[in-house]
Amino acid sequence: MTVGQRTNGSGQAQGQPLPTDLASARAWRLNTWDTPWLNSKFLLGSGIVLSVLLFGLLGPVFWDTDLAYTGAAPLNKPPVWAEGGLPEHPLGTESNGRDMLAQLILATPSSLKVGFLAAIIGMAVGMALGSVAGYLGGWWDHIIRTISDSAITIPALVVLVVIASFVQMTDTTAMAFILALFAWPGPTRLVRSQTLTLRERSYVRMAHLSGASAVEIMFVEMLPNMLPWLAASLTGGISGAILGATGLEVLGLGPTRVPSLGLIINQATTNAALVRGLTWWWLPPIIILMVIFVGFFLMTIGLDEIANPRIRRFGASGHDSTPATERKKRTGARREKQRRSLTSDLPQEERAAVEAADAGRRSSAQDNAALAVRDLHVHYFTPRGAIIAANSVTLSVRKGEILGLVGESGCGKTTVAMAILQVVQPPGRIVQGEIRIQDRDLVGLSAKELRQVHWRELALVPQGAMNSLNPVTSIREQMADAILAHERVGRIELERRILTLLHDVGLPDRVIGMYPHELSGGMKQRVCIAMSIALNPQVIIADEPTSALDVVVQRVVAQTLLEVKERLGVSMVMISHDMGLQAQLVDRIAVMYAGNLVEVAPVESAYARPRHPYTQLLIESIPSIRERKPLNATEGLTHDLRNPPPGCIFQYRCKFVEQKCRDSRPSLVEIDQDHFVACWLYEPDAHTNIDIEHA
Amino acid sequence: MRGLTKEYVLQRFLMYLLTIWLGSTLIFIIPRLAPGDPITVMITRVSLDSGYVENADQIIAAWKARFGLDDSLWVQYARYWGNVFRLDFGFSLAHFPTKAWTMVRPALPWSLGLLSLATALSFLVGVTVGALMGWRRTPRWLQLILPSSLTFTAIPYFMFGIVLIYVVAFKLDWLPATGAYSRSVNPGWNWPFIQNVASHAILPVVSIVLTSMGGWALGMRGLMISVNNEDYFLLAQVKGLSPTRIFFRYGVRNAILPALTALALGLGGLISGSILVEFIFAYPGTGYTLYQSIIAQDYTVTQAIANLIIIVTATSVFLLDLLYPLIDPRITYKRNAP
Repeated sequence: MTVGQRTNGSGQAQGQPLPTDLASARAWRLNTWDTPWLNSKFLLGSGIVLSVLLFGLLGPVFWDTDLAYTGAAPLNKPPVWAEGGLPEHPLGTESNGRDMLAQLILATPSSLKVGFLAAIIGMAVGMALGSVAGYLGGWWDHIIRTISDSAITIPALVVLVVIASFVQMTDTTAMAFILALFAWPGPTRLVRSQTLTLRERSYVRMAHLSGASAVEIMFVEMLPNMLPWLAASLTGGISGAILGATGLEVLGLGPTRVPSLGLIINQATTNAALVRGLTWWWLPPIIILMVIFVGFFLMTIGLDEIANPRIRRFGASGHDSTPATERKKRTGARREKQRRSLTSDLPQEERAAVEAADAGRRSSAQDNAALAVRDLHVHYFTPRGAIIAANSVTLSVRKGEILGLVGESGCGKTTVAMAILQVVQPPGRIVQGEIRIQDRDLVGLSAKELRQVHWRELALVPQGAMNSLNPVTSIREQMADAILAHERVGRIELERRILTLLHDVGLPDRVIGMYPHELSGGMKQRVCIAMSIALNPQVIIADEPTSALDVVVQRVVAQTLLEVKERLGVSMVMISHDMGLQAQLVDRIAVMYAGNLVEVAPVESAYARPRHPYTQLLIESIPSIRERKPLNATEGLTHDLRNPPPGCIFQYRCKFVEQKCRDSRPSLVEIDQDHFVACWLYEPDAHTNIDIEHA
Repeated sequence: MRGLTKEYVLQRFLMYLLTIWLGSTLIFIIPRLAPGDPITVMITRVSLDSGYVENADQIIAAWKARFGLDDSLWVQYARYWGNVFRLDFGFSLAHFPTKAWTMVRPALPWSLGLLSLATALSFLVGVTVGALMGWRRTPRWLQLILPSSLTFTAIPYFMFGIVLIYVVAFKLDWLPATGAYSRSVNPGWNWPFIQNVASHAILPVVSIVLTSMGGWALGMRGLMISVNNEDYFLLAQVKGLSPTRIFFRYGVRNAILPALTALALGLGGLISGSILVEFIFAYPGTGYTLYQSIIAQDYTVTQAIANLIIIVTATSVFLLDLLYPLIDPRITYKRNAP
């Protein structure tokens, strides 16, 4: 049986996404701009607000604003386009003989000014209080937080109305200060929580240790990182303050001598403009206000997206994977097409070779493999190009064996696990490949078929059990969920089964009624193991099952996994970067580097005679008590995953690199009993007599 | 009663008292910080409106004595607190023999009914829309339609109310424009009256719901997106659960908790907005009564209503706070608004 990797002979652009995906990558790039400030919603919103502001500021240049006061115009004239309209009053006049256009020109900037002023005062106070609370902590924090939390729930307008009915507000500045009374709690809460988060970031800690003053840290290290949040809070605050001011004005409680949009509405409603059909009186101020609010609203959500890239990413990629069945169909069809196009690009004899190898693998994959992964390609489509997280990964797990998948962080281990489970998260996607369990290719399945395969045949012991359990439901419910999704079981039987499963992993009965936060890390991980064996699956994927645990608990969990495997005869893929653990647990080991498999071998052979230079480094790095040797760190960095070099994937860090490695990529070749390695050092014809042990 | 510890309840109760204290004190202190006292301001206003009031000084002095404004600020403050606690604000200024409380009480059920219906609807609809927007499996056509429902979010309640009155009530004549019920029906538990009340409530409720649900929706969308990235959400998928179960038990169930906190924090704003809605629709609730009392310069009634609204808001927030640990097994002391 061959575990092969497609040789990429002439270094055909590995880094470029395949043609069909280039299109989707481009589409994605259009949605998410590289410069976050160029957010389309934010730009549109600012444009709207600016043009309204310009209308107010430039208006007096073109129009005689005194007409807003004189009251000399004829009464109740409609706009110029309506019947009876006068050209000297293009937007008509109201019942007091005042020109509407002049009123609107004067009112617009004064409404905006109140909003800006109140929000800026609120923001200044909020930043001061919030940073004090977040930075000093302790009692300061407690007091400031309690007061701002209370203040935020007070119905502001009620208090404002009462205040305004006693305090005669002569101008907009006085009003802005009163409105600011309610504009500070929001920014305070925001700055406090941001400060708390940022304070723990390592670069802030570094600045602190290097002796920077608190003020310096606040303004140099923290403030720039809060900027989008603060801006979103400011635009929200401005529209809130305009809303408050307009509310007071509509009620007739604002300054009455200065025209404002709310005041026009107030005068219109008190003069029964609605009933009298004087639409041009009450509607224009409402339209201007709506435009202002829409502008600020767009700015706020745009800034929100800038501050919160998750939302942006979701918006850009969310639709793509939405209809699961459709997605399946699409990938299936594309896969066929690509395979054909890939082979057709190759020269005649190579194509024949690939096709022969294809046929060979297909038959061999079926011999006694519980799980067979064939030619798996997974790409993550980022704005700057596709990251190749798995490149032509082919491996199989035999019945009853544990296959270890090792490699450094970011090498694509977890991506392979997610791809096997068919849950690669956007923007990632399986571009090509086959995943077979019992002769069924999971890649082509519909969402419904996949649900049946999940857990019954293919289960997961997740990475970091800390967050893998739903925090708000009991263990009973979460385990029952898994069972009931696939079987009809009565209540009593269900309870008994869950208890048995918990016993199997060495947990006491009382765990059944507990919630995740009441369990220790090791207990949670064992709950996850118990859950994974609930339906006696064919294959369990264990993704770093012990990595977040301390050494003693690691041992217990590893032991539990082994016992489970022995008893049930289940096949397992064990993903881990812990070479020591792998040595004890697994039957065969697959070493992954930068999305490519570099060595696949039985565990004894791999540890005794590691062939690939990378595997050798990994095994050397296992610390030993008997001999203290200097840690042999792997030098150099991984290449840019978007653009892997032609030739060997490990060339930049390899000690034995030579010209051939730079030119073409080696494939996995069986060089010993069941021992596969992808390295030119072992290509039989070229490098048979190099003794690696002395290297 | 898991999670509802004595410590938590006590802490929330103190917050409750603090909120009422802050609001009421603002109402008390700011008019007094301003130049002139409420009575003088009011009498001056009256004299400005009606040209001249004879012996205004004596009137002011007499009223000040009657309402205890001659006492020191601290004595006034203490007395004011006594009033807030007993919900007794003395007599109405504008309708003298009537107690302020008597003027306020009839407005209360209208406001409570309108507001609780509008709040519940806007929160439910908003949260549902937001949850669907933040879920990867929402059908594509829904994903395209839902964001348009947020269009109204940017528009303040009362403006939408005015437009609704003009279009639906005046132009189309489908629903009544103002008031809580028509004069032609007999108040009581009879069908025509209930029908009439319902038809009057539609426009105010719609204008509150449509303009406020977007806020909840946006918040919920963000929360759902976060939950989407959680490990337990992934595990639920791999467990082979049905999409609806994942959506409700793993998605909404987790995202709703901070959304409820946001509801508690946003209640004040919602109630503020409803004052204007009541004003626009001349709906005889507390907001409208508050407005009328201000127009009538009925100082005691104004104070009574303002305090009442503050207390009711704080109480609802307190009740929400008590509900919170019951649905979140982790005891949470902080309010983490999104």
